[in-house]
Order: sequence, then structure tokens, then C-alpha cells
Amino acid sequence: MIKLLRQNKTALISGAVILVVIILSTLAPLLSKYSETSQDLAHRLMAPGNGHLFGTDELGRDVLTRILYGTRVSLFIALLPTALAVVVGTFAGVCSALFNGVIDFAIMRFADVMLSIPGMLLSMVVLYTFGGSLSSVVIALILIEWGGIARVVRTRALEIYQKEYIEAAIITGAGQGRIIFFHIIPNLIPTLIVLFTLNIPSSILAESTLSFLGIGIQPPQVSLGLMTGYSRQYLFQMPWLSLAPSGMVMLLVLSFNFLGDAIRDILDPKRRQL
Amino acid sequence: MKELPKRLLGIIIVMILVIALIFVMLRIIPGDPASVLLNEHVSQANIDRLTKSMGLDKSLPEQFFGYLGGVLRGDLGQSYYMQQPVSSLILQAFPYTIRLTLLSIVFAWTMGIVSGIFSAMYNDHFPDYLFRGTALLGISVPVFMVALFLQYLFYYRLSLLPLVYDGSIVSMILPAIALGWNSAGSVARLMRSSLMDELDANYMDTARAKGLIYKKAVIFHAFKNAILPVITMMALQLAEMLSGAVITESVFSIPGLGKLALTALQTRDMPLLQGTVLFTAFLIAVGGILADFINTLLNPRLRLG
Amino acid sequence: MIRKYMWMLILIAVLALSGCGKSGSKNDTVHLALSADIVTMDSHKTTNDYIVPMNVFDTLFSLKKNDDGSTRIDNSLVEKYELSDDALTYHFTLRDGVVFSDGTPLTAQDVKFTFERILKLPDSAQTDCVIIIDGAQDMLDGKADSLRGITVEDDKNFSITLTAPFSGFTSLLATPAMVIYSEKNVTEAGDDFGMVPGKTIGSGPYIIKEWTRGSGLVFEYNPRYWGPEPSVKKVDMKVMEPQAMDLAFQKGDLDILDCLFLDSAIVNSTYKTDTYKDRIVSVDRLGQNFILMNENIEPLGNVQVRKAIQQAINRESILNSIFAGDGKLEDGIFPTGCVGYSKNNQGWLKYDPDNAKKLLADAGYADGFDLEICLDSTANDSIKNAVQVISENLKAVGINASIRSIDHASYLDLRNSGEMPCFWAFWLLDYNDPDNIIYTFFGSKDNVKLRSLNYSDDSVIQRVAAAKTIGKEADRLAEYEALEKKILQDDAACVPMFSTKHLFVISDRVETFIPHWAGWSDIYFDQITLK
Repeated sequence: MIKLLRQNKTALISGAVILVVIILSTLAPLLSKYSETSQDLAHRLMAPGNGHLFGTDELGRDVLTRILYGTRVSLFIALLPTALAVVVGTFAGVCSALFNGVIDFAIMRFADVMLSIPGMLLSMVVLYTFGGSLSSVVIALILIEWGGIARVVRTRALEIYQKEYIEAAIITGAGQGRIIFFHIIPNLIPTLIVLFTLNIPSSILAESTLSFLGIGIQPPQVSLGLMTGYSRQYLFQMPWLSLAPSGMVMLLVLSFNFLGDAIRDILDPKRRQL
Repeated sequence: MKELPKRLLGIIIVMILVIALIFVMLRIIPGDPASVLLNEHVSQANIDRLTKSMGLDKSLPEQFFGYLGGVLRGDLGQSYYMQQPVSSLILQAFPYTIRLTLLSIVFAWTMGIVSGIFSAMYNDHFPDYLFRGTALLGISVPVFMVALFLQYLFYYRLSLLPLVYDGSIVSMILPAIALGWNSAGSVARLMRSSLMDELDANYMDTARAKGLIYKKAVIFHAFKNAILPVITMMALQLAEMLSGAVITESVFSIPGLGKLALTALQTRDMPLLQGTVLFTAFLIAVGGILADFINTLLNPRLRLG
Repeated sequence: MIRKYMWMLILIAVLALSGCGKSGSKNDTVHLALSADIVTMDSHKTTNDYIVPMNVFDTLFSLKKNDDGSTRIDNSLVEKYELSDDALTYHFTLRDGVVFSDGTPLTAQDVKFTFERILKLPDSAQTDCVIIIDGAQDMLDGKADSLRGITVEDDKNFSITLTAPFSGFTSLLATPAMVIYSEKNVTEAGDDFGMVPGKTIGSGPYIIKEWTRGSGLVFEYNPRYWGPEPSVKKVDMKVMEPQAMDLAFQKGDLDILDCLFLDSAIVNSTYKTDTYKDRIVSVDRLGQNFILMNENIEPLGNVQVRKAIQQAINRESILNSIFAGDGKLEDGIFPTGCVGYSKNNQGWLKYDPDNAKKLLADAGYADGFDLEICLDSTANDSIKNAVQVISENLKAVGINASIRSIDHASYLDLRNSGEMPCFWAFWLLDYNDPDNIIYTFFGSKDNVKLRSLNYSDDSVIQRVAAAKTIGKEADRLAEYEALEKKILQDDAACVPMFSTKHLFVISDRVETFIPHWAGWSDIYFDQITLK
């Protein structure tokens, strides 16, 4: 019990950091007097100071404001596609576990195919096809994440399925639906939460890499990844431009990583699955 | 391994599906290799000529089965863009990738295992956060930023290492760190949790009760068991790295497989993309079998689905 | 503790390894950077990768830049030539004593072979360059097996007959696409030609020694070269990302830094400083930047709307901020320094957002409209920035402009299909002739579609194609001037933007460096002299 509390400390701190970031970015319009897109060519690439805490970027836009707005997009990218990937992956994994034979084989081979093609390439294909936008990034991330999730879920679901209480349920004449929704899914939830939190960091980073390649989020929309990627050319001369957004990425990813670890420690103390 | 034939059959099916998928993908994405090759100096006559010489004017089934037939005969075709046989391009690129991968694995495992041990020893105390933080740093910052920092520090500031790959093994060190740091985080995480698992076990409580002097011995004892899942993971990671080095290879100008696949996709070079992806898919599949094999070898009780 | 150990171990390993790795660069070796690796060394199969053709091979003529910015055509492999009275037949005499780097002497048959190869190769990318030679079309169509327009008289003498007069022909012969191959070498090398260094043999000042795909190229001086011995004896080119070039140059590991890949703000803050400013070599890029508008996309078909867009874009502020003022506003199709550049067609285009609004209102678009500006995701960062400014400019006059960034291949596909609404285009001259630029955009029905202009005036398109063959130079230039005025000022087919300077910074080892005459990033190594 003491141990559980101690582990909660990590969860508490990283959770608090994430919460603060969420609040700050939500309140962005109230916190900043600048707009994230308004250009000021006379004041491009200004050093921090003079009303711009982190200076201005290559088109004279306030970097701090852009970080706040960019964090919104990055958080959205962190949460939505990851959640959807977990839903898709769970569905596929549970189906695969329950329906032995052809369906299992088909789903798992399909997952294998997706996992065989490097995730980067796969997501680039999606972005090339649909063009760079928030929604294509979401689709791309779901596509590269669901396969891995489905595999873990399948294994876990198979384990649960072999548990005695499921056998008992089957003997008492419970239907498939009842077994899935009352026995398998509830028992999967800890696994799913852990999968969710552990996939968030990779979503954030995948977005930044895609935006770095110029095919992710499109200007004038802004994301942390786009800012980091775009300002890397100024890294050595005007470090604040890329350090500020990449610092934010780092803070978010580290927090989600620590939170994920903590949740896993609590929910899956035997650490059998992940 | 009596499951081996089944696994091999699975691999073959996956391979054929990969070929079909990439073929379909490259028909769906806009863009054609003839336009890319001509770039700005485009004329309708030349587009038509190149399309014909690449065989892209044939019907889709003809193209697909033509390619599939070639693969079955062991012929991966000719790259549209690079204008060389795909197999020779892959063989040229593979040594660079394998060198980079092995070096990064060494880095990732050293760093991951060491920091995993410390994290587990000092669970939820300052050293735990420090080591986990360091290990996780590699996956907390986009890899292109890690690469730029390494270049700045070790080349520009310290003058210790070459800026980009120049053929020497020394110039592989920075890319290996950039790439390996990425995996160090997950190795450390697994090491930490599996070590903590062992430390939780009853026999450890007895050991712990005997005093702090036992702690080190205990770590080494627990280590032997805890390393098993980490080793399993390594085989999978090896394959992952083989394909995941696209950005690292670009920043450090390493002519490896990742860069080749990226170029192939960017130029809509169907044979080259097929070839590189098939090759990496094969490596990943072999890695998977290897991982399972090691797993059953080390831990016969485990049954994997 | 262990962590400390690990770092020490790494450091020790690093030190031990770095001790045996580095060897000092020799004095006559020059280190250069490439932003992307080449695809082939064979100029017939690429329209982009000219670094090998330029340095390993020779052309019949060469273009040089005069001090006043104009260009002149020098003889290269050609000793002398004569043009017949009907301006159709050129009689050439080759220079004496030219041998390829393996010792094979250059003959007139090699010239014929080379031009025939351009037409025979199924994957040739350069057929446009030779199509004006008599009989070329027949060869392309498979009706002829040899090029009847080229007559070889003996080893030194040959003549080329054109289908129509073209005063830019000698200039065209100076482009790297038209380098002369050795029939013997190309035939012997087979598929390896252009792919394997030892088998790609030319008569130029350098030999290609090594080519590591994706990593770099090594060139060495060709001792059999017929021309003056260059100062640089060895060239080591590495593929590098822009940031790496910047770092390498500051560390002295790079001898020429191409500022095209750096943001002008970085060039300003780092290189236009006391330390470096005397080492900046600047050349005008003989090229024009345009914003192209697609007449098939509503409402860009309306000439009033196009004129409004011309006046809505603040070209000066873009040039002065994003390009640091390193350039010149150009109101024509032909940039300053290009043959055909006309002073009369300058100065007419002024930034006037109020008038733009009025034009839009007159055209019935007082409330504006949606416009998608397409952007190549591999475009230079300066262009990416400029496009963002342009979209703000357009918003200011009520046009709801948005940017759509597309990956390179899809971008080309969309543009070639004639369906791209609006985009930034740049054309850098291949040879100094007005035809090179105006034909590309307005010379045929195919071309106006491939550039997504869909320019609708067929009579103008025909005049552009015909202007190439006007025999008398003064008449020809007058026609180009009239066409330029018609297309830009009357029809507002596109927005002429500006030409820019191309800056290079040279290291303290380099005495002089003369960039390519048109300001390409590809350079002639023999134009570098070392201290």
C-alpha cells in the first residue's frame, strides 16, 4: 500500500505538469495579446525580450503565443489518434482472440503487414494521399499504432479467456456478447490504459517528425513539431526559436512517459504484458 | 520449434500482402516517377517516353503480375529513379545500415540496462528519476534535434567526432547514439520493471532482510532472471532499428536502407520501394522468430500466441 | 558511478578511434557540399544532376560571364565554326589534341554519336535539347536510325543542320546537357556508363574517382585535360544537410558555403560580418520568380482578378525581409542579364492593395473568394516563408488564400495535370536565350498545361513558338519584348516577382571563385583558385 502511494507521487507530479500545460494552452487567447498567425516582417527573428518572452520567429510572429497554440494541436494529436488506435486495436485484438481460425489469422496477418512496413513510410503514404492536415495526421497515426496494440490485446484477451471464471461463465450458459462485455473488456481495461499512455509520446513525436518533413500540419496552423522542425535551421544562431518548442515537446513527452510508467506500475504490478 | 513451418508460411503470406499493399498504395498516391525524373524540365513528349520505358503504360494486372513473377524468380527489378537493379542498390545500402544498427544497439543496451538497474535499485528516489529521465530523453526530443545537438557538441564544440558519415567507423558513433538513444528508453523501462518484478519476489525479501550488504549481490542475482525479457526484446528492436533509421541516416548522410526506402517513396519508385520494404519486412519477421526462439529457449514455461 | 564510467568509456573509445581516423586534408584538395546526392552521372538521363557533366565532360561551347553582367559564348571543344547564309547549317571544326581521360581521341563521330544517343535512349530526358536538329523528330518517331542533320566530314570537321534558324543554338550547345561523350567508352561501358566512376569517362578537367551513393563524390584532376591546368587538384564533395554545411564551414572543413540553403537572417548575422564579409562571392541568378495563376480555376480566368493579384502582392517587402534585399524586382518574364531583357517592360507593376480591391470589386468579387496556393514541401525555406507572406497579402485585399503544402512528386503531378490553382514558380536559365524561359511557360499548348497556367490566347502561344526561329536578331528581340508586354501587362498571366542573388562564402584557403554564369548551385571546379 505504501508502495502504491509512493508510485502515485510520480503519477501526481507528471499528471500535474500535463494538467498545467493543458490549462495554459486552453487559455492561450487570454494569456497572449498576440495572434499566432499575425506577421510582422519588420521584426522577424528577434531575440527574447521587448514584449516577446521567447522572441519572434522567421515571419515576426510571437514564439510564446505560437507555442501555446501549437501545444493545443500537439495535445490533440497526443490524445485523439492514440485513443482511436486503442479502440481499433482492441476491437481487432479481441475479435482475433475470440474467433479462432480464419478471422484470427486474417487480422493478425494484416497487423503483421502493417507492422512490416516502417511506420514512417506508412504514415507518409497517408499524408501524400490525403495531403498534409490535422485529419490526415490522425489517420496516419491510427494506422501505424493499431497493429501493435492489437497484438498485445489479443495475447491478453486469450489469457483472460482461459481464466476459470470465464469457463464458469460459459458453463452457466452466458452468451458471447455477455462474456466479451462483462468479462473480457473489464479485465482488459488496465492493459488498455497502460497502452494508451505509453503510446501518447510516440504520437507526439511522430507528428513532429512528419511536420519536420513538411508534410504534417500545414501553416498557418501551428504545432510544436512544425515549429521545432521549421526552426531547426536557426538552432545554432537563434537557439530560442527551436529550444522553446522542443522544450515543450520534451516536457510533454517526459511527463506522459512518467505517467505511463506510474500507471503501469499501479495497474499491472506483475508487469507481465508490457 | 515445431511451429516453424507455420511461421514460415505466415511470413510468405505477409510478404505477398506487402507487395500487393505497396502496389496499391503507389497507385493511389498522386505522382509518377517520370515527372519526378524530369522535374522542372518537363515536356509532354518526354513524360510519355519515360512512362513507356518504365513500363508504366501497361495495364495494372500486367504490371503487378509482371513484378510478382520477377520476385518469384529472384529478380527485384530495376529502380526507375536510381536506374540500377534494385537488388544491387539494397546490397550496397545494407552494410551501412547493419553497421549503424549494431552500433546503436550496443549503445542502447549499455545505456538502457545500466539506467534500468539504477532505476530499479533506487525506485522512486532521485537516481531513479535521473536515470529514467536520461534514458527517456532520447525518445522525448525529436530525433533530428538529438542529432543536431550531437553534431553541435561533439563536432563543433569539442572537435571530437566527424560531422557526417565519411566512411570511417568513428563517424558512425554520433548517428549510433542518436538512433540508439531512442531505444535506450524502452530497454531501460523494461529492465527496470522486470528487475523490480524479481526484487518483489519472496526470495528477495529474505535476502533483503539480511541487510544492505546483500543489496549488490541481490541485484546481480535478480539481474540474471530479469535480463531474459530484455533479451527477447532486443531481437525485435534490432529489426525495428533497421527500418527506423530514416531521419538519422538523412542527417548524417548515411546511404543506408532507410534513406533508400524514403527516396523510393518520394520518387514513386515502385520496384525500389517494394524491394526495400520486402527486405526489411523479411528482417523484421526473422527478428520475430528469433525473439520467440530465444524466449522459449530461456523460458520454456512461456507459451506465446 | 556506473553512469560516470559509461561516459568515460565512451570518451575513451571516441578518443582512441578519432586518433586513427582523421588525416589532414592536402593543400590542393577542396571540400565542397552537396544538398542531395546525384542520381546519375549521365547527363542524358537527368535534368537536375549536372555536377559531373560540368566537371568531367566538355561541351562544344562554354558560357562565361562578362564583368558587366552580360554573358559571352567561348569556344570549348570547338576550334572554330561558320554559319551558312540561310542560318540553318553550322560548320564546326573540333579543337586539336583533345583526348578523353583514358586516352581515346575526340572525333567528330563522337559528337554525332552523342546527339543520336539522346534521341535513341528509351529513357532519355534531354530530347528537347536536340529536337531542333534536322531529322531528330524522325529518329524519335522511329522513322530514321541516324541523325541526318549531322554530317561528319572527317575526324575534325562536321556540320549540323537545323530545321529552322535558331540564334540561341551555340548557347544551347554550352549547357551541360550537351556534353560530348566518347562513342568507344559509352559503348564499352554499357549500363555502367553514368553509374560506375571508372567507366564514366570524359574529356573535362576532372576525373570522377569515387561515388558513394547518398554520401558523396570524389574528383581528381585529369592530367590529359586539354585546357589550362586548374588550381584545384582534388575535390571531395559530401552530401550534407544545410545545418551541417553551416557548421562544417565555420570549422574550416568546407571551402565553399552555398548560402542558398541558409536563411538570409543567418547569412546576415553570421556571414555578413567583419570576419566573413570580404569572403562573400555574389552572383546574380539569371532566373525569374513568378506566381503562376491557373486560368481554368475560377475566378482566375478573369483578367481583372489576375491584375488585382498582381497588385496585391507586396514584392518589395518579401524581397527585403525574407531575401534580405539580395535581389532585384523584375517586372518582366526575362530577368536582368538574360538576352531579351527589356527596360521598356520594367517599372509598370506597383504594389497597390487599394486598387487591387477596386479591381476585385469591379470584377464582381468585392467579397473576395477562396484561393489555394500550392507549395512544394521540399521547397527552399525562403519560398515557404514568402508564400506565407503572400497569403497574408491576399487576405488583406479580401482573397481568402490558404496554403496547401504537397510533397514533391504529388506537386509535380498536380502541376503537370494543369489543375494547380496558384503557386510559386522559379526558372533558372539553362542557356542564355529568351526562348529557354518563355517557351517553357508559354511555348505550346502542352507547356501552358504542364505549368498549370492554361493560358488561353492561342495566337500568343503560336507567336512564342515562332519567335525562336526569327532570323534577324533585332526583330526577334522586338517580338519577345512585345510578347512579354502582352502576356504580363495585358493578360496578367502571372505575377513577375524578382530575381535574387546567389551568395557563396569562401574559406580563407580560396583565392578566387567564379560561380556558374547563371548562378546555379552546381559549380565548375576549375573556377576555383587556391592560395
